[in-house]
Amino acid sequence: MGAFGRFFKNMNRNAAMLVMVLPATLWFIFFSYLPMAGMIIAFKEYRYSRDGFLASIIESKWVGLQNFKFLFSTNDAYIITRNTVVYNIFFIVLGLVIAVAMAIMLAEITNKRLAKVYQTGMFLPYFLSWVIVGYFVFSFLSLDRGVVNQVAGWFGIDPMNWYSDPTYWPIIIVVVFLWKSVGYNSVIYLAAIMGIDKSLYEAAMIDGANKWQQIRNITLPMLTPLITILTLLAIGKIFYADFGLFYQVPRDSGTLYSVTNVIDTYVYRGLKSTGEIGMSTAAGLYQSLIGFVLVITSNGIVRKFNKDNALF
Amino acid sequence: MGRKTKSFTAALSLLLVMSIVLSACGGGKNESSEGTAEKPVELIWYTIGTPQKDVNKVMEEVSKYTAEKIGVTVKMNMIDWGDYSQKLQVMTASGEAVDIMFTSSWAFDYVQSARKGAFMQIDDLLKEHGQGIMETLDPAFLEGSKIDGHNYGIPANKELPAQEVWRFNKQYVDKYKLDTSSVYTLESLEPLLKTIKENEPDVYPFAVDKNQMPYVPYDYVIEKLPMAVSLDTTDYKIVNVLDTPEMKQILSTMHKYYKAGYIPTEAATMDSMTDVQTTGKWFADRATSQPFADNLWSASYGYPVVSTPASEALIYNWSVMGSMQAISANSKYPEKAMEFLNLLNTDPVLRNMVDSGIEGVHYKKAGDNVMENLDESKNYDMPTFSLGNVMLTYLNTTDPTNKWEEFKKFNDAGVQAPLLGFNFDTSKVTTEIASVNNVKEEYWAALMTGTVDPETYLARANEKFKAAGLDKIMAEAQRQLDEWRAANK
Repeated sequence: MGAFGRFFKNMNRNAAMLVMVLPATLWFIFFSYLPMAGMIIAFKEYRYSRDGFLASIIESKWVGLQNFKFLFSTNDAYIITRNTVVYNIFFIVLGLVIAVAMAIMLAEITNKRLAKVYQTGMFLPYFLSWVIVGYFVFSFLSLDRGVVNQVAGWFGIDPMNWYSDPTYWPIIIVVVFLWKSVGYNSVIYLAAIMGIDKSLYEAAMIDGANKWQQIRNITLPMLTPLITILTLLAIGKIFYADFGLFYQVPRDSGTLYSVTNVIDTYVYRGLKSTGEIGMSTAAGLYQSLIGFVLVITSNGIVRKFNKDNALF
Repeated sequence: MGRKTKSFTAALSLLLVMSIVLSACGGGKNESSEGTAEKPVELIWYTIGTPQKDVNKVMEEVSKYTAEKIGVTVKMNMIDWGDYSQKLQVMTASGEAVDIMFTSSWAFDYVQSARKGAFMQIDDLLKEHGQGIMETLDPAFLEGSKIDGHNYGIPANKELPAQEVWRFNKQYVDKYKLDTSSVYTLESLEPLLKTIKENEPDVYPFAVDKNQMPYVPYDYVIEKLPMAVSLDTTDYKIVNVLDTPEMKQILSTMHKYYKAGYIPTEAATMDSMTDVQTTGKWFADRATSQPFADNLWSASYGYPVVSTPASEALIYNWSVMGSMQAISANSKYPEKAMEFLNLLNTDPVLRNMVDSGIEGVHYKKAGDNVMENLDESKNYDMPTFSLGNVMLTYLNTTDPTNKWEEFKKFNDAGVQAPLLGFNFDTSKVTTEIASVNNVKEEYWAALMTGTVDPETYLARANEKFKAAGLDKIMAEAQRQLDEWRAANK
């Protein structure tokens, strides 16, 4: 029996399961794998052909790594890479700690109705678009009408032009990001906590463990696999910045670029007027390549310590 | 071959087959000759502007008319101002079916898109099917919109030169009996701004947003990149406009105004002044003018606006290419598209139907070439300048009868800017342009609105521009400019 025979036998046996994954598989083929062929645009000077998209790709001339040059041509390269990576590290670490802490607190609240209220309140910002969040922040930080400057005025502090002074923006960016995303992540962790076998806690209580010991010795170890998986996935995206956060929230203010310019906004600003598709593809390819390498490496490290917690 | 490789090859061939099947669906080939009144062909037309409710209704009427005349029907798609450039860039890059599209110097960049191959070269089409256009259009338009000696789009017949003006909200001019006739330079504006600042705390004295470009007597090689030649140049030397004494002076004046509170505090991050214009809480700003523009502005804001010149009227590349219609490189019916554009630019019936809608529904005639909007016109309010020859359009009842004669006079009086007809080919410096654009985004708005002190920021900006490769771009532009001058002596 050849490979194909075995293949069909396998198919037959798992037909029901395979039908279930079919939609997702198709989705991945059409929207993730097929478009991957477009990567070659990154190595071409893309010019339009009258015979359509594929002909344009084929007829455009090869330019090697020329398209990648603009990402590294100035010392902005250092700033945007630093901003992207460092912000993401903060997001990952703080996001994890706060989301897990919130999830544990929510789980410990005995009044279930109140817990639901808190949960919904924290969850809500996740659904707002960055444009709206940008205006929220603006209503706080506006020079002449912002809440912050007015309150400062009561105490005799001079109003501050927030949108042209980069000093406090790293903090503002991190706080706004956490405000928007922590609710969502804590719901995921909360679900995991709810799934922990209650008898473990009962046994611990009988042995005289207090709340803190229960959290440290039961909840956290039970959450570790989920924490690892989510963190690994986040590391894969460490070279992607949330465009809306870094573009809308600082209102695209030029004087703040030293702390708000990230790879995504840099690519957007450099290419929005020229429309060089080859160069934007190159930037995207570069980001995913680094992300890929980082996921593989960190997964390898996780495997070293604990095989069960690794993604693959 | 191991099993793994085999299944990989299978997957790969599956991928290839699928991409071929998909692409086959997309690319239909040219059919036999159609395009008669009985069997009209459909032209797909993309143009700029806030989508209007009645577009399809009006295009049905337009199609009836054009089917009879030249055997085409028209499907118009409108894309809003802010989205137009990016959507059209994606559409042309992916080879979407389009026949005619709006292009210009300021939205969906004409020169760059033509160089990338988005448009059909129309030299011959114009001679065969566009004689009407060649007769009615001021030759300066077709001449000024040539790229490397060829035409790729049809400019709308409208005002040729651009004249900068100061606009004033007349309400405040009258209230404080201000003399606007003595205003010409930015500095001469100061006493007026001062009066308003002292007496009207709720009004922006000088309405400036992040798109502000102070007027300096220079002709830019690329809009909003700091390389330009002086307007009275004789040696055509490209300079960094941020290094010129004129720009330095203007920027320090702007900063002075900003500190004095004449300019909105958030100017550098404000996208537009539309809200302020609607409420009328502004006193002065700057705009580009055309004959009887005061009427136009007053009508659209709903309160009187007056203006006084801030510069000479000059014909720039960007004013010539201010509004064009091009035929897509992948159009299936280029001849028909050209016939349609020819009719649009010469036939008053078609032109006014496209512009104002259906007679008796959207507007009514109030004279031979005068019309009045009806209530329904709010469902079909089109940007007149973007849709071809404006001099065919009916006058409003408030317009002077000699409006189009004045336009012609204005056009004839326009002086040519030094770079008219020169188009910079950026393909050798795309990397540098992308970097320089980033520096521009960082410093431009803050400097131009006066938000930051030019004393320190100008030097910083120049340093970063240099690091990003501005000198290399300027050298390349200078080389092309010298070549162009040698060829056009």
